[in-house]
Parts: sequence; structure tokens; C-alpha cells
Amino acid sequence: MISTIDQRKEFELLKRAYEKAGGDASKFLNKRVASLIISGDKVIGLNGLTGIQIFPQQIQDGVRARIVVEKNTIIQTPIHICTGFVEKRGLQKVIFEIEIGDNSQVRFVAHCTFPWVEEFTHSALALVHIGKNAKMYYSDEHYHSDTGSVILNTTTKAVVEENGLFVNNFVLTKTRVGKLHLDASVELRENAIAELSAKVKASKLDQVLIREKLDLIGNRASGIAKTTVVALDQSKVRVVNEAYGVGDYSKGHIKCEEITKGEAVDVSTVPVLKVMNELAELTHEASIGRVNANQLQTLMAKGLTEEEATELIIKGLIG
Amino acid sequence: MWLLLLDNVNLVRGNKYILKDINAVFETGKIYAILGTNGAGKSSLAYLIMGINGYEPSSGRILLDGEDITNLSITDRAKKGLTLLWQEPVRFQGLTVEQYLTLGGKIKVSNHQIEFILNFVGLSPNLYRHRMVDGLLSGGERKRVELASILLLNPRYAILDEPDSGIDIMSLSMIENVIDYIVKHGGTVIVITHREEIAKLSQEAYLLCNGSILTQGSSDRIIKYYKDRCDECSHVNLPSLEEMRI
Repeated sequence: MISTIDQRKEFELLKRAYEKAGGDASKFLNKRVASLIISGDKVIGLNGLTGIQIFPQQIQDGVRARIVVEKNTIIQTPIHICTGFVEKRGLQKVIFEIEIGDNSQVRFVAHCTFPWVEEFTHSALALVHIGKNAKMYYSDEHYHSDTGSVILNTTTKAVVEENGLFVNNFVLTKTRVGKLHLDASVELRENAIAELSAKVKASKLDQVLIREKLDLIGNRASGIAKTTVVALDQSKVRVVNEAYGVGDYSKGHIKCEEITKGEAVDVSTVPVLKVMNELAELTHEASIGRVNANQLQTLMAKGLTEEEATELIIKGLIG
Repeated sequence: MWLLLLDNVNLVRGNKYILKDINAVFETGKIYAILGTNGAGKSSLAYLIMGINGYEPSSGRILLDGEDITNLSITDRAKKGLTLLWQEPVRFQGLTVEQYLTLGGKIKVSNHQIEFILNFVGLSPNLYRHRMVDGLLSGGERKRVELASILLLNPRYAILDEPDSGIDIMSLSMIENVIDYIVKHGGTVIVITHREEIAKLSQEAYLLCNGSILTQGSSDRIIKYYKDRCDECSHVNLPSLEEMRI
């Protein structure tokens, strides 16, 4: 699994960072768990299973990996993907091409860990194709350094075929963000379902731009795109959530909730709904502002200070 | 003896009195009912006692054990043993019932205590302790969670604003048990209610009309007065001179 001493050291570093961030690194060494571990531009761990094929390839400044889940494959244990960078400066490009065969069901748990970086850009592109009646759950959690100097560009483009399901959760709440540009879009065929979700905590001078987009192409396609952001200090956050209703009886809902705390926060959201079929139905809800006063006072009436109450409410919102 | 005292308290918004000349005494270990028609000022009185923003007295004092708490924050009042059950408790995304009950771990309680309290309010611990306190709970379930939370706080003064609203009539005995539990543990209950069964648990009652205390005294008398005269009152919250002279 690990071929050189240097790679073993690198693996140990990543493992340490991963566990520090609350992850369970034992999964990486478990032969019964499919996994892909990337450090910088190298693959330092790889384990496939019956029905899952992973084809990694080194590219300039990064790794491209094609992940194929064969038809009619149901994987009970999540596929673990760990992407890390243990240097202080640099660029990392990661391209995932994920193909989920018809009638298959798979769950991914991805962690991106950059705990020591000072000047670093991570560019990730995920091209996802989910076959008919297939289900894919992708959970992507990030742990950055506390310098706020990470530039993260992450793009997901997914196509979900008839009766398929795609659930994508992005989380960056435990460390500084730096600069984030998240762009997730999904095209849904007949009866397909998608849920796109992003949870981000921005602080100090962090900058966040999030775009989540639902293209409800097929008849009775349905989707929800929801963004939850806590913006503190002088952080800047822009959220644009879009839904396009094309198919008959397609349904889409977009939701953006942004909690602000800090006199210099700069936060906005723009919902875009476009119906191109009179039978389609799109809705949206959005809120920006301080923590709900009723929630605050409910907790304060139990003895929490305003700070403690705010912290608990935010913890609930973004985990 | 602990004592919560409202001394000539007024709450004015614009040119309108929300609460006027409120004088009330709540002694420890007793149950008090606050009665009144809709809009009489019952919830405003609860918020004023708890110190909720926007309900600061325009004049008058609130004293707790002789200490003036009129200008204390909600938190400081809660730390002195006051707490409030809201008529419609707010929802919290992402917090489990257990996290909510323990205030994110701030209150140290054993598993056994959590199970006991949830069972006490009619919620199965297995089904509810890991559920979210969000919009997926029904109004009745949310109210039960709030009652459980109040019990775990072991308050000296619990102001219960319509604890029975949203709760099915078959579960009124649970509310009675909650009130009884608080009193048996040394607390005082001030209960706002429209339901006779709940009001009858109290020893003393205040009847509010148009923001003023119209009459006060033994619960039996006040409940009878309310039933005889307020239920069919033709000038709701605008008491006649005759009524004002009681």
C-alpha cells in the first residue's frame, strides 16, 4: 500500500493531521475499506474492492483519478478519500472522474487536510456521472491551517440519470477558510433527485463565494440546494443558489441561511429561479442576519450568556 | 423565605400601557395562576419578569429576595433561579434533544437523569434523545422537550406560559406532574393558563384585564370570577368602572 519510506513519513504526517481534525485514520489501513490517499501530487495509498476500480494518475501539481463503481454494486462501507498537503507552500490540483454504474449505491467520505500550509492553492474538480437507479452520497470535509492563507477552488459537475440520487455535502467549519470558491451544479434526468449542501464558517478576513445550481431537466426531477454560512468578524460571503425547472412537474427548492456576527461582515445572497415549463415548481427561502433573538433568549433564560448561547446555536447550524 | 415581588411595575409602549400598576408577590413553594383573556397582558408579564428584550419596565421594580433585579440581564436572572417556558418554544436546527437539555454539555447530568426526565414528560428516551429540536418535532413534542429542559434546570421560579397549549388533553396529568415536581423540589410555579384544570392546581391567582391586575386572591375565587364574568365579558380588556372597583 505504501511503497517508500518518504511516503510512509508523509502518510504518518497526513494521518496525524487527519486524526487531529477528528478523523478516523484506521480506515485507511483497513483492506476492507476502499480508499485513495493523495499527498501533494502523489498517491500514497490506494485500495480498491470488488466492484470499485480506482485509476489514479499523476499530473502536473496534482493527481487525476478515475473512480468506477460497476453496475449493480452496493458498497456498505464508505469509500475514503483523503487529500492532503504537508508542505507550507504550493499548488495542488485534484481531478476526480466518478462513474457510478446503474443500480449501484455508494457513499464517499472525503477529507481534505492542509494543516500546515502558509501559501497554498487547492483546485478540485469532480466530474460525476450517476447511472440509472443509482445512489451516490459524497461528504467532503475540509481542515485548513489557521493562517487563512488557503485558496480553495472546488467545482463539482454532476449528471444524475433516471431515478438516480446524488447527495453532496461540503463542510468547512472547523478551521479558517481563507478564500473559497465553491461551485456545485447538478443536472437531473427523469425522476432523479439531488441534494446539494454547503456549510461554512468564515472568520477574520476569509472570503467565500458559493454557487449551487440545480438543472431540473427530466420530468419529475427534484432537488434542493441549501447553504448555511456563519460569517464572523470581517469576512465576506456571497451565495448564489440557482434552480432551473425544465421538466414536467420538476420541483426545486433553494435555501440560504447566513448568520452574521461582527460589525464588519459583508454578506449577501442571490436566489435565481427560472421556470421553463409551466408545470415546474421552484421555491426559495433565505435569511441573513444575527442569531435569532428568540433562540438566544430561550437559551439565556436557562442561564447561558449571550456568547455561550450564540456558540451553541451556531454549533447546531454548522456542526 | 424566598420572595419574588413586583412593585408598582408599568410597561408602556408608545402611549399605551401594556402593563399598568402591577403589584404582585410570589412566595416560595407555591403555585400561582395568571388568568386573563387574550391580550390581557399575561405573556407580557412573563417576559417582563424574565427580562426579555423589549419588556423592560418603564417604571417600578422587580425584587428577588429583596434584591432589585429590574436591570439584570436574562442570563443573570436565570442564574438566580428564574426561568421561562415559552408559549411556543422556538426550534433549533442541528441540536439533538440531549444537546439541548444539557445546553451543549453545560449542565452535567447523568444518562439516567436524562432518561428519567424524558420519560417524565412522556417522551421515550430511545426515540427522542437523539432527535433534533427542529421543525420535525410536532408542537406537542417540542413543548414536552421544553418542559423536560425546565425540570433539569431545577428552577426556583418557573414561569410557565400556557404549558398545556399544544399538548393533548389526555396528557394534562403530565403537566400537573411537572408542576408538582418543581414545587416538591423547592421551586415556585407561576402558570399562565386558560385551562381550569391547570389553574386549579394553584393556591393563589391573579386576574389580568387590559394590562392591570383586576383582582387577586384564592384560586377558587378567581377562577369562579373568571368563569362567571370574563368568559362572556362584552368589553374584553376594557373593564367597566364597576369591575375596576372590586
